[in-house]
Amino acid sequence: MTRDSTAVAASGAALLGLAALALTRQRRCQALVPTTHVPAPAIDPGAAVRAARRMNRAAGVIAASVLADSAVEHYRGAFHNKAMVAPLVTAALSLAVSAHGNADKRPQAHRVRDSVYVAAALTGLVGTCFHVFNIGKKPGGFSWQNLFYSAPIGAPMALTLSGAMGFLAERVRDTTPGQAPTIAGVSAGRAVAAATSLGLLGTVGEAGLLHFRGAYHDPFMYLPVTIPPLTAALIGNAAFGRTRRRRPLTRFWLRFTALLGFAGAGFHAMGVARNMGGWRNWRQNVLNGPPIPAPPSFTGLALAGLAALGLMEDHPDD
Amino acid sequence: MTDRYPGYDVMSKRWTESWNETTRKVIDRRLAISREPRFFSGTEWRTLNAVCDRIMPQPKDRPPVPLAAFVDQKIADRLMDGYRYAEMPPQDEAWRRGLAALDEAAQETHDTLFHMLSTEQQDGLLCRMQQGGLTGPAWGGMPCKLFFEHRVIPDITHAYYAHPVAWNEIGFGGPASPRGYVRMGLDRRDPWEAVEATPGEEAHARLKNDHGG
Repeated sequence: MTRDSTAVAASGAALLGLAALALTRQRRCQALVPTTHVPAPAIDPGAAVRAARRMNRAAGVIAASVLADSAVEHYRGAFHNKAMVAPLVTAALSLAVSAHGNADKRPQAHRVRDSVYVAAALTGLVGTCFHVFNIGKKPGGFSWQNLFYSAPIGAPMALTLSGAMGFLAERVRDTTPGQAPTIAGVSAGRAVAAATSLGLLGTVGEAGLLHFRGAYHDPFMYLPVTIPPLTAALIGNAAFGRTRRRRPLTRFWLRFTALLGFAGAGFHAMGVARNMGGWRNWRQNVLNGPPIPAPPSFTGLALAGLAALGLMEDHPDD
Repeated sequence: MTDRYPGYDVMSKRWTESWNETTRKVIDRRLAISREPRFFSGTEWRTLNAVCDRIMPQPKDRPPVPLAAFVDQKIADRLMDGYRYAEMPPQDEAWRRGLAALDEAAQETHDTLFHMLSTEQQDGLLCRMQQGGLTGPAWGGMPCKLFFEHRVIPDITHAYYAHPVAWNEIGFGGPASPRGYVRMGLDRRDPWEAVEATPGEEAHARLKNDHGG
Protein backbone atom coordinates (compact mmCIF):
# COMPACT_ATOMS: atom_id res chain seq x y z
CA MET A 1 0.00 0.00 0.00
CA THR A 2 2.77 2.38 0.99
CA ARG A 3 4.66 1.40 -2.14
CA ASP A 4 1.53 2.05 -4.25
CA SER A 5 1.08 5.45 -2.66
CA THR A 6 4.70 6.27 -3.32
CA ALA A 7 4.32 5.17 -6.92
CA VAL A 8 1.22 7.28 -7.45
CA ALA A 9 2.87 10.22 -5.71
CA ALA A 10 5.98 9.92 -7.86
CA SER A 11 3.99 9.66 -11.09
CA GLY A 12 1.89 12.61 -10.01
CA ALA A 13 4.94 14.60 -9.01
CA ALA A 14 6.52 13.92 -12.40
CA LEU A 15 3.39 15.15 -14.18
CA LEU A 16 3.08 18.17 -11.89
CA GLY A 17 6.70 19.03 -12.49
CA LEU A 18 6.10 18.78 -16.19
CA ALA A 19 3.04 21.01 -16.01
CA ALA A 20 4.91 23.53 -13.91
CA LEU A 21 7.74 23.48 -16.43
CA ALA A 22 5.35 24.04 -19.27
CA LEU A 23 3.62 26.91 -17.48
CA THR A 24 6.80 28.67 -16.55
CA ARG A 25 8.47 27.77 -19.80
CA GLN A 26 9.88 31.12 -20.67
CA ARG A 27 11.25 32.09 -17.28
CA ARG A 28 12.43 28.63 -16.32
CA CYS A 29 14.24 28.13 -19.55
CA GLN A 30 16.09 31.35 -19.25
CA ALA A 31 17.24 30.21 -15.86
CA LEU A 32 18.30 26.78 -17.11
CA VAL A 33 19.69 27.58 -20.52
CA PRO A 34 22.47 30.05 -20.95
CA THR A 35 21.27 32.49 -23.56
CA THR A 36 23.79 32.86 -26.30
CA HIS A 37 22.78 34.81 -29.33
CA VAL A 38 24.28 33.42 -32.46
CA PRO A 39 24.31 35.11 -35.84
CA ALA A 40 22.25 33.56 -38.61
CA PRO A 41 24.56 31.23 -40.54
CA ALA A 42 24.57 31.24 -44.30
CA ILE A 43 22.36 28.40 -45.51
CA ASP A 44 24.45 25.31 -46.01
CA PRO A 45 23.03 23.39 -48.98
CA GLY A 46 23.93 20.07 -47.34
CA ALA A 47 22.34 20.93 -43.99
CA ALA A 48 18.85 19.76 -44.90
CA VAL A 49 20.08 16.37 -46.13
CA ARG A 50 22.23 15.99 -43.03
CA ALA A 51 19.22 16.73 -40.81
CA ALA A 52 17.03 14.39 -42.88
CA ARG A 53 19.55 11.58 -42.45
CA ARG A 54 19.61 12.19 -38.70
CA MET A 55 15.84 11.85 -38.74
CA ASN A 56 16.05 8.69 -40.83
CA ARG A 57 18.27 7.29 -38.10
CA ALA A 58 15.73 8.34 -35.46
CA ALA A 59 12.89 6.73 -37.44
CA GLY A 60 15.04 3.62 -37.87
CA VAL A 61 15.80 3.25 -34.16
CA ILE A 62 12.11 3.57 -33.28
CA ALA A 63 11.24 1.10 -36.06
CA ALA A 64 13.80 -1.38 -34.74
CA SER A 65 12.31 -1.07 -31.26
CA VAL A 66 8.78 -1.60 -32.61
CA LEU A 67 9.85 -4.50 -34.81
CA ALA A 68 11.45 -6.43 -31.96
CA ASP A 69 8.80 -5.48 -29.41
CA SER A 70 5.80 -6.32 -31.59
CA ALA A 71 7.50 -9.53 -32.74
CA VAL A 72 7.89 -10.68 -29.13
CA GLU A 73 4.50 -9.50 -27.91
CA HIS A 74 2.51 -10.65 -30.93
CA TYR A 75 4.28 -14.02 -30.83
CA ARG A 76 3.11 -14.17 -27.24
CA GLY A 77 -0.38 -13.46 -28.56
CA ALA A 78 0.20 -16.40 -30.97
CA PHE A 79 -0.70 -14.06 -33.90
CA HIS A 80 -4.27 -14.82 -32.94
CA ASN A 81 -5.46 -12.12 -35.33
CA LYS A 82 -3.75 -12.24 -38.71
CA ALA A 83 -3.44 -8.44 -38.63
CA MET A 84 -0.90 -8.87 -35.84
CA VAL A 85 1.70 -9.49 -38.54
CA ALA A 86 1.18 -5.97 -39.94
CA PRO A 87 3.45 -4.08 -37.50
CA LEU A 88 6.25 -6.60 -38.09
CA VAL A 89 6.07 -6.02 -41.82
CA THR A 90 5.74 -2.24 -41.72
CA ALA A 91 8.32 -1.79 -38.93
CA ALA A 92 10.78 -3.98 -40.85
CA LEU A 93 10.15 -1.92 -44.00
CA SER A 94 10.47 1.32 -42.02
CA LEU A 95 13.78 0.07 -40.64
CA ALA A 96 14.97 -0.84 -44.15
CA VAL A 97 14.03 2.48 -45.76
CA SER A 98 15.55 4.33 -42.80
CA ALA A 99 18.84 2.56 -43.49
CA HIS A 100 18.43 3.49 -47.14
CA GLY A 101 17.72 7.11 -46.23
CA ASN A 102 20.72 7.20 -43.93
CA ALA A 103 22.95 6.11 -46.81
CA ASP A 104 21.26 8.36 -49.37
CA LYS A 105 22.83 11.82 -49.74
CA ARG A 106 20.56 13.11 -52.52
CA PRO A 107 18.47 16.16 -51.70
CA GLN A 108 15.15 14.71 -52.92
CA ALA A 109 12.44 12.79 -51.17
CA HIS A 110 12.24 9.15 -52.20
CA ARG A 111 8.87 7.83 -53.32
CA VAL A 112 9.29 4.34 -51.81
CA ARG A 113 10.61 5.70 -48.51
CA ASP A 114 7.72 8.12 -48.37
CA SER A 115 5.15 5.39 -49.03
CA VAL A 116 6.66 3.07 -46.44
CA TYR A 117 6.76 5.78 -43.79
CA VAL A 118 3.13 6.72 -44.46
CA ALA A 119 2.14 3.04 -44.34
CA ALA A 120 3.99 2.63 -41.02
CA ALA A 121 2.30 5.69 -39.53
CA LEU A 122 -1.13 4.47 -40.65
CA THR A 123 -0.45 0.94 -39.38
CA GLY A 124 0.34 2.46 -35.98
CA LEU A 125 -2.94 4.35 -35.97
CA VAL A 126 -4.96 1.30 -37.02
CA GLY A 127 -3.07 -0.74 -34.41
CA THR A 128 -4.04 1.76 -31.74
CA CYS A 129 -7.68 1.33 -32.76
CA PHE A 130 -7.29 -2.47 -32.52
CA HIS A 131 -5.73 -2.21 -29.08
CA VAL A 132 -8.40 0.20 -27.86
CA PHE A 133 -11.09 -2.15 -29.21
CA ASN A 134 -9.35 -5.11 -27.56
CA ILE A 135 -9.34 -3.35 -24.19
CA GLY A 136 -12.93 -2.15 -24.54
CA LYS A 137 -14.36 -5.57 -25.30
CA LYS A 138 -12.80 -7.21 -22.23
CA PRO A 139 -15.12 -7.62 -19.24
CA GLY A 140 -14.79 -4.40 -17.26
CA GLY A 141 -13.95 -2.29 -20.33
CA PHE A 142 -11.52 0.53 -19.73
CA SER A 143 -10.60 -0.49 -16.21
CA TRP A 144 -7.09 -0.30 -14.77
CA GLN A 145 -6.94 -4.09 -14.86
CA ASN A 146 -7.52 -4.15 -18.63
CA LEU A 147 -5.26 -1.19 -19.31
CA PHE A 148 -2.50 -3.04 -17.47
CA TYR A 149 -2.96 -6.53 -18.87
CA SER A 150 -4.65 -6.26 -22.28
CA ALA A 151 -2.98 -5.10 -25.47
CA PRO A 152 -0.85 -2.08 -24.47
CA ILE A 153 -2.82 0.97 -25.49
CA GLY A 154 0.13 3.20 -26.31
CA ALA A 155 2.50 0.74 -28.00
CA PRO A 156 1.28 1.00 -31.64
CA MET A 157 1.77 4.76 -31.55
CA ALA A 158 5.53 4.13 -31.55
CA LEU A 159 5.13 2.81 -35.09
CA THR A 160 3.23 5.97 -35.99
CA LEU A 161 6.08 7.99 -34.51
CA SER A 162 8.63 6.10 -36.60
CA GLY A 163 6.55 6.69 -39.73
CA ALA A 164 5.94 10.32 -38.85
CA MET A 165 9.62 11.03 -38.19
CA GLY A 166 10.54 9.35 -41.46
CA PHE A 167 7.85 11.27 -43.33
CA LEU A 168 9.13 14.53 -41.83
CA ALA A 169 12.66 13.48 -42.79
CA GLU A 170 11.55 13.23 -46.41
CA ARG A 171 9.96 16.71 -46.23
CA VAL A 172 13.18 18.14 -44.79
CA ARG A 173 15.26 16.40 -47.46
CA ASP A 174 12.97 17.70 -50.17
CA THR A 175 14.02 21.29 -49.48
CA THR A 176 15.22 23.30 -52.46
CA PRO A 177 18.97 23.81 -51.94
CA GLY A 178 19.63 27.25 -50.52
CA GLN A 179 16.25 27.49 -48.78
CA ALA A 180 15.38 26.80 -45.16
CA PRO A 181 13.39 23.57 -44.75
CA THR A 182 9.77 24.08 -43.77
CA ILE A 183 6.91 21.72 -43.08
CA ALA A 184 3.42 23.07 -43.83
CA GLY A 185 4.86 26.56 -43.75
CA VAL A 186 6.45 26.10 -40.31
CA SER A 187 10.19 25.89 -39.72
CA ALA A 188 11.01 22.17 -39.98
CA GLY A 189 13.11 22.29 -36.82
CA ARG A 190 10.16 23.59 -34.80
CA ALA A 191 7.80 21.01 -36.31
CA VAL A 192 10.14 18.11 -35.55
CA ALA A 193 10.85 19.46 -32.06
CA ALA A 194 7.11 19.68 -31.32
CA ALA A 195 6.51 16.18 -32.69
CA THR A 196 9.39 14.86 -30.56
CA SER A 197 8.00 16.51 -27.45
CA LEU A 198 4.54 14.99 -28.00
CA GLY A 199 6.04 11.61 -28.85
CA LEU A 200 8.11 11.65 -25.66
CA LEU A 201 5.05 12.49 -23.56
CA GLY A 202 3.09 9.61 -25.10
CA THR A 203 5.96 7.20 -24.48
CA VAL A 204 6.26 8.45 -20.90
CA GLY A 205 2.54 7.70 -20.47
CA GLU A 206 3.07 4.14 -21.65
CA ALA A 207 6.14 3.60 -19.46
CA GLY A 208 4.35 5.23 -16.52
CA LEU A 209 1.32 2.97 -16.86
CA LEU A 210 3.36 -0.22 -17.08
CA HIS A 211 5.90 0.77 -14.43
CA PHE A 212 3.01 1.65 -12.14
CA ARG A 213 1.68 -1.84 -12.84
CA GLY A 214 5.12 -3.06 -11.76
CA ALA A 215 4.72 -0.99 -8.56
CA TYR A 216 8.06 0.73 -9.25
CA HIS A 217 9.63 -2.23 -7.47
CA ASP A 218 13.07 -1.09 -8.66
CA PRO A 219 13.98 2.57 -8.05
CA PHE A 220 15.40 2.79 -11.59
CA MET A 221 11.83 2.34 -12.85
CA TYR A 222 11.28 5.98 -11.93
CA LEU A 223 13.82 7.13 -14.54
CA PRO A 224 11.58 6.94 -17.64
CA VAL A 225 8.85 8.90 -15.85
CA THR A 226 11.22 11.61 -14.61
CA ILE A 227 13.98 12.10 -17.21
CA PRO A 228 11.96 12.09 -20.50
CA PRO A 229 9.24 14.47 -19.22
CA LEU A 230 12.03 17.02 -18.69
CA THR A 231 13.34 16.22 -22.17
CA ALA A 232 9.85 16.75 -23.57
CA ALA A 233 9.62 20.09 -21.76
CA LEU A 234 13.05 21.22 -22.98
CA ILE A 235 12.53 20.25 -26.61
CA GLY A 236 8.94 21.60 -26.43
CA ASN A 237 10.38 24.84 -25.18
CA ALA A 238 12.81 24.85 -28.08
CA ALA A 239 9.92 24.26 -30.50
CA PHE A 240 8.12 27.37 -29.36
CA GLY A 241 11.07 29.44 -28.17
CA ARG A 242 13.72 31.39 -30.01
CA THR A 243 15.82 29.51 -32.53
CA ARG A 244 18.76 31.88 -32.60
CA ARG A 245 20.13 30.44 -29.41
CA ARG A 246 22.41 27.58 -28.45
CA ARG A 247 20.75 25.08 -26.13
CA PRO A 248 23.53 23.05 -24.49
CA LEU A 249 21.28 21.81 -21.67
CA THR A 250 18.60 20.62 -24.09
CA ARG A 251 21.25 18.91 -26.20
CA PHE A 252 22.81 17.28 -23.15
CA TRP A 253 19.43 16.16 -21.84
CA LEU A 254 18.48 14.70 -25.23
CA ARG A 255 21.75 12.75 -25.33
CA PHE A 256 21.12 11.57 -21.78
CA THR A 257 17.63 10.43 -22.82
CA ALA A 258 19.10 8.59 -25.80
CA LEU A 259 21.44 6.78 -23.42
CA LEU A 260 18.56 6.09 -21.05
CA GLY A 261 16.73 4.24 -23.83
CA PHE A 262 19.60 1.79 -24.22
CA ALA A 263 20.12 1.56 -20.47
CA GLY A 264 16.42 0.71 -20.17
CA ALA A 265 16.90 -2.29 -22.45
CA GLY A 266 19.75 -3.37 -20.16
CA PHE A 267 17.60 -2.95 -17.05
CA HIS A 268 14.84 -4.95 -18.70
CA ALA A 269 17.31 -7.73 -19.51
CA MET A 270 18.17 -7.77 -15.81
CA GLY A 271 14.44 -7.91 -15.08
CA VAL A 272 14.19 -11.03 -17.25
CA ALA A 273 17.07 -12.57 -15.29
CA ARG A 274 15.23 -11.89 -12.04
CA ASN A 275 12.15 -13.83 -13.11
CA MET A 276 11.89 -17.42 -11.93
CA GLY A 277 14.31 -19.59 -13.90
CA GLY A 278 16.19 -16.52 -15.13
CA TRP A 279 17.67 -16.48 -18.62
CA ARG A 280 17.80 -20.28 -18.69
CA ASN A 281 13.98 -20.08 -18.78
CA TRP A 282 14.12 -17.48 -21.55
CA ARG A 283 11.27 -18.98 -23.55
CA GLN A 284 8.90 -17.88 -20.81
CA ASN A 285 10.73 -14.95 -19.25
CA VAL A 286 11.48 -12.97 -22.41
CA LEU A 287 7.72 -12.94 -22.98
CA ASN A 288 6.70 -12.61 -19.37
CA GLY A 289 9.35 -10.24 -18.10
CA PRO A 290 9.82 -6.55 -18.94
CA PRO A 291 9.93 -5.96 -22.72
CA ILE A 292 13.62 -5.63 -23.61
CA PRO A 293 13.12 -3.88 -26.99
CA ALA A 294 10.68 -1.24 -25.73
CA PRO A 295 12.91 1.38 -24.00
CA PRO A 296 15.03 2.26 -27.08
CA SER A 297 11.94 4.11 -28.37
CA PHE A 298 13.18 6.87 -26.09
CA THR A 299 16.54 6.71 -27.87
CA GLY A 300 14.85 7.12 -31.25
CA LEU A 301 12.83 10.09 -30.05
CA ALA A 302 15.89 11.71 -28.48
CA LEU A 303 17.72 11.33 -31.79
CA ALA A 304 14.77 13.07 -33.50
CA GLY A 305 15.03 15.85 -30.92
CA LEU A 306 18.74 16.24 -31.62
CA ALA A 307 17.97 16.43 -35.35
CA ALA A 308 15.39 19.13 -34.58
CA LEU A 309 17.93 21.12 -32.55
CA GLY A 310 20.38 20.87 -35.45
CA LEU A 311 17.72 22.06 -37.88
CA MET A 312 16.86 25.05 -35.71
CA GLU A 313 20.51 25.97 -35.35
CA ASP A 314 21.15 25.62 -39.07
CA HIS A 315 17.99 27.48 -40.07
CA PRO A 316 16.94 30.03 -37.46
CA ASP A 317 13.64 31.67 -38.30
CA ASP A 318 13.68 34.65 -35.99
CA MET B 1 -10.64 -43.93 -22.47
CA THR B 2 -9.86 -41.68 -25.46
CA ASP B 3 -6.37 -40.28 -25.44
CA ARG B 4 -6.93 -36.54 -25.75
CA TYR B 5 -3.22 -35.76 -25.57
CA PRO B 6 -1.62 -38.54 -27.63
CA GLY B 7 2.08 -39.01 -27.01
CA TYR B 8 2.09 -36.57 -24.10
CA ASP B 9 4.14 -37.60 -21.07
CA VAL B 10 4.54 -34.93 -18.43
CA MET B 11 7.55 -36.80 -17.05
CA SER B 12 9.48 -35.83 -20.19
CA LYS B 13 9.59 -32.33 -18.70
CA ARG B 14 11.78 -33.65 -15.91
CA TRP B 15 15.07 -32.41 -17.35
CA THR B 16 13.73 -29.39 -19.21
CA GLU B 17 13.51 -25.81 -17.96
CA SER B 18 9.92 -26.49 -16.89
CA TRP B 19 11.08 -28.27 -13.75
CA ASN B 20 13.89 -27.53 -11.34
CA GLU B 21 15.52 -29.63 -8.63
CA THR B 22 12.81 -28.85 -6.06
CA THR B 23 10.06 -29.80 -8.48
CA ARG B 24 11.84 -33.05 -9.35
CA LYS B 25 12.17 -33.92 -5.65
CA VAL B 26 8.48 -33.21 -4.99
CA ILE B 27 7.39 -35.41 -7.90
CA ASP B 28 9.84 -38.18 -6.95
CA ARG B 29 8.48 -38.21 -3.40
CA ARG B 30 4.94 -38.37 -4.72
CA LEU B 31 5.72 -41.30 -7.01
CA ALA B 32 7.62 -43.19 -4.31
CA ILE B 33 4.65 -43.30 -1.91
CA SER B 34 4.37 -46.42 0.22
CA ARG B 35 1.53 -48.76 -0.76
CA GLU B 36 1.09 -49.81 2.89
CA PRO B 37 -1.07 -47.81 5.32
CA ARG B 38 0.51 -45.88 8.14
CA PHE B 39 -2.70 -44.57 9.67
CA PHE B 40 -5.51 -46.93 8.75
CA SER B 41 -6.04 -50.41 10.20
CA GLY B 42 -6.25 -53.41 7.89
CA THR B 43 -10.06 -53.39 7.82
CA GLU B 44 -10.25 -49.66 7.24
CA TRP B 45 -7.63 -49.95 4.51
CA ARG B 46 -9.64 -52.54 2.59
CA THR B 47 -12.81 -50.46 2.91
CA LEU B 48 -10.99 -47.31 1.82
CA ASN B 49 -9.54 -49.06 -1.25
CA ALA B 50 -13.01 -50.27 -2.20
CA VAL B 51 -14.42 -46.73 -1.82
CA CYS B 52 -11.58 -45.29 -3.95
CA ASP B 53 -12.24 -47.86 -6.68
CA ARG B 54 -15.86 -46.72 -6.92
CA ILE B 55 -15.30 -42.96 -6.61
CA MET B 56 -12.43 -42.85 -9.10
CA PRO B 57 -12.52 -46.01 -11.26
CA GLN B 58 -9.30 -46.43 -13.21
CA PRO B 59 -8.49 -48.12 -16.52
CA LYS B 60 -7.07 -51.63 -16.30
CA ASP B 61 -4.37 -51.12 -18.92
CA ARG B 62 -2.03 -49.19 -16.63
CA PRO B 63 -0.97 -49.36 -12.98
CA PRO B 64 -3.57 -47.51 -10.89
CA VAL B 65 -2.81 -44.29 -9.05
CA PRO B 66 -2.58 -45.47 -5.39
CA LEU B 67 -5.45 -43.30 -4.19
CA ALA B 68 -5.93 -44.93 -0.78
CA ALA B 69 -2.20 -44.51 -0.08
CA PHE B 70 -2.44 -40.77 -0.76
CA VAL B 71 -5.45 -40.43 1.56
CA ASP B 72 -3.55 -42.37 4.21
CA GLN B 73 -0.47 -40.20 3.73
CA LYS B 74 -2.51 -37.00 4.02
CA ILE B 75 -3.85 -38.12 7.38
CA ALA B 76 -0.62 -39.67 8.68
CA ASP B 77 1.35 -36.55 7.79
CA ARG B 78 -1.41 -34.34 9.25
CA LEU B 79 -1.77 -32.35 6.01
CA MET B 80 -4.90 -30.42 7.00
CA ASP B 81 -7.22 -28.40 4.78
CA GLY B 82 -7.00 -25.37 7.05
CA TYR B 83 -10.74 -25.34 7.71
CA ARG B 84 -13.54 -27.76 8.51
CA TYR B 85 -17.29 -27.77 8.97
CA ALA B 86 -18.32 -27.40 12.58
CA GLU B 87 -20.44 -30.58 12.34
CA MET B 88 -17.44 -32.56 11.10
CA PRO B 89 -14.67 -33.99 13.31
CA PRO B 90 -11.01 -33.57 12.24
CA GLN B 91 -10.08 -35.52 9.09
CA ASP B 92 -8.53 -38.53 10.82
CA GLU B 93 -11.56 -39.05 13.03
CA ALA B 94 -13.94 -38.33 10.14
CA TRP B 95 -12.36 -41.01 7.94
CA ARG B 96 -12.28 -43.53 10.81
CA ARG B 97 -15.95 -43.01 11.56
CA GLY B 98 -17.02 -42.86 7.92
CA LEU B 99 -15.29 -46.12 6.92
CA ALA B 100 -16.57 -47.89 10.04
CA ALA B 101 -20.07 -46.61 9.28
CA LEU B 102 -19.89 -47.91 5.71
CA ASP B 103 -18.95 -51.37 7.03
CA GLU B 104 -21.72 -51.10 9.60
CA ALA B 105 -24.24 -50.27 6.85
CA ALA B 106 -22.90 -53.13 4.69
CA GLN B 107 -23.33 -55.53 7.63
CA GLU B 108 -26.86 -54.31 8.22
CA THR B 109 -28.02 -54.51 4.62
CA HIS B 110 -25.93 -57.34 3.13
CA ASP B 111 -24.45 -59.04 6.16
CA THR B 112 -20.85 -58.59 5.06
CA LEU B 113 -18.13 -55.92 4.96
CA PHE B 114 -18.19 -53.10 2.40
CA HIS B 115 -15.23 -54.35 0.37
CA MET B 116 -16.89 -57.76 -0.04
CA LEU B 117 -19.97 -56.27 -1.74
CA SER B 118 -20.54 -56.21 -5.50
CA THR B 119 -19.82 -52.91 -7.19
CA GLU B 120 -23.58 -52.30 -7.59
CA GLN B 121 -24.15 -52.85 -3.87
CA GLN B 122 -21.20 -50.58 -3.04
CA ASP B 123 -22.56 -47.88 -5.34
CA GLY B 124 -25.97 -48.23 -3.66
CA LEU B 125 -24.51 -47.56 -0.23
CA LEU B 126 -22.32 -44.68 -1.50
CA CYS B 127 -25.39 -43.12 -3.15
CA ARG B 128 -27.32 -43.36 0.10
CA MET B 129 -24.38 -41.71 1.84
CA GLN B 130 -24.33 -38.95 -0.78
CA GLN B 131 -28.03 -38.31 -0.26
CA GLY B 132 -27.75 -38.26 3.53
CA GLY B 133 -29.59 -41.58 3.89
CA LEU B 134 -27.15 -43.47 6.08
CA THR B 135 -27.56 -43.38 9.84
CA GLY B 136 -26.16 -45.47 12.64
CA PRO B 137 -24.16 -45.25 15.84
CA ALA B 138 -20.82 -45.52 13.93
CA TRP B 139 -21.35 -42.05 12.42
CA GLY B 140 -21.17 -40.56 15.92
CA GLY B 141 -23.42 -37.69 14.86
CA MET B 142 -21.37 -36.82 11.74
CA PRO B 143 -23.70 -36.07 8.78
CA CYS B 144 -22.93 -38.71 6.11
CA LYS B 145 -23.76 -36.24 3.32
CA LEU B 146 -21.10 -33.81 4.56
CA PHE B 147 -18.60 -36.66 4.91
CA PHE B 148 -19.25 -37.65 1.29
CA GLU B 149 -19.06 -34.11 -0.09
CA HIS B 150 -16.24 -32.71 1.97
CA ARG B 151 -14.03 -35.71 2.79
CA VAL B 152 -14.60 -38.60 0.40
CA ILE B 153 -14.83 -36.67 -2.89
CA PRO B 154 -12.11 -34.03 -2.33
CA ASP B 155 -9.57 -36.30 -0.64
CA ILE B 156 -9.81 -38.98 -3.35
CA THR B 157 -10.11 -36.77 -6.43
CA HIS B 158 -7.39 -34.38 -5.25
CA ALA B 159 -5.11 -37.38 -4.77
CA TYR B 160 -5.89 -38.56 -8.30
CA TYR B 161 -5.22 -35.22 -9.98
CA ALA B 162 -2.01 -34.70 -8.00
CA HIS B 163 -0.49 -37.65 -9.91
CA PRO B 164 1.45 -37.38 -13.20
CA VAL B 165 -0.70 -40.14 -14.73
CA ALA B 166 -3.76 -37.90 -14.32
CA TRP B 167 -1.80 -34.91 -15.70
CA ASN B 168 -1.10 -36.87 -18.88
CA GLU B 169 -4.82 -37.52 -19.25
CA ILE B 170 -5.76 -33.85 -18.93
CA GLY B 171 -2.70 -32.38 -20.65
CA PHE B 172 -1.48 -30.63 -17.50
CA GLY B 173 2.19 -29.65 -17.23
CA GLY B 174 2.62 -30.31 -13.52
CA PRO B 175 4.05 -27.73 -11.14
CA ALA B 176 4.78 -24.41 -12.87
CA SER B 177 8.20 -24.28 -11.31
CA PRO B 178 10.24 -22.67 -12.63
CA ARG B 179 8.55 -22.40 -16.03
CA GLY B 180 4.96 -21.28 -15.85
CA TYR B 181 2.55 -19.95 -18.41
CA VAL B 182 2.58 -16.92 -20.66
CA ARG B 183 -0.53 -17.22 -22.80
CA MET B 184 -3.21 -16.90 -20.16
CA GLY B 185 -6.28 -16.41 -22.39
CA LEU B 186 -8.89 -19.10 -22.90
CA ASP B 187 -7.95 -21.77 -25.43
CA ARG B 188 -4.41 -20.40 -25.83
CA ARG B 189 -1.43 -22.72 -25.55
CA ASP B 190 2.21 -22.09 -24.73
CA PRO B 191 4.71 -23.94 -26.91
CA TRP B 192 5.78 -26.14 -23.99
CA GLU B 193 2.20 -27.23 -23.21
CA ALA B 194 0.50 -30.45 -24.31
CA VAL B 195 -1.29 -30.41 -27.65
CA GLU B 196 -4.90 -31.56 -27.55
CA ALA B 197 -5.86 -33.78 -30.47
CA THR B 198 -8.79 -32.68 -32.57
CA PRO B 199 -10.53 -35.45 -34.53
CA GLY B 200 -8.36 -36.43 -37.48
CA GLU B 201 -5.36 -34.52 -36.12
CA GLU B 202 -4.12 -37.16 -33.69
CA ALA B 203 -0.88 -37.80 -35.58
CA HIS B 204 -0.07 -34.08 -35.63
CA ALA B 205 -0.73 -33.80 -31.89
CA ARG B 206 1.39 -36.88 -31.21
CA LEU B 207 4.27 -35.45 -33.20
CA LYS B 208 4.12 -32.15 -31.33
CA ASN B 209 3.77 -33.84 -27.94
CA ASP B 210 6.75 -36.05 -28.69
CA HIS B 211 8.85 -32.94 -29.17
CA GLY B 212 7.23 -30.92 -26.40
CA GLY B 213 8.73 -29.88 -23.12
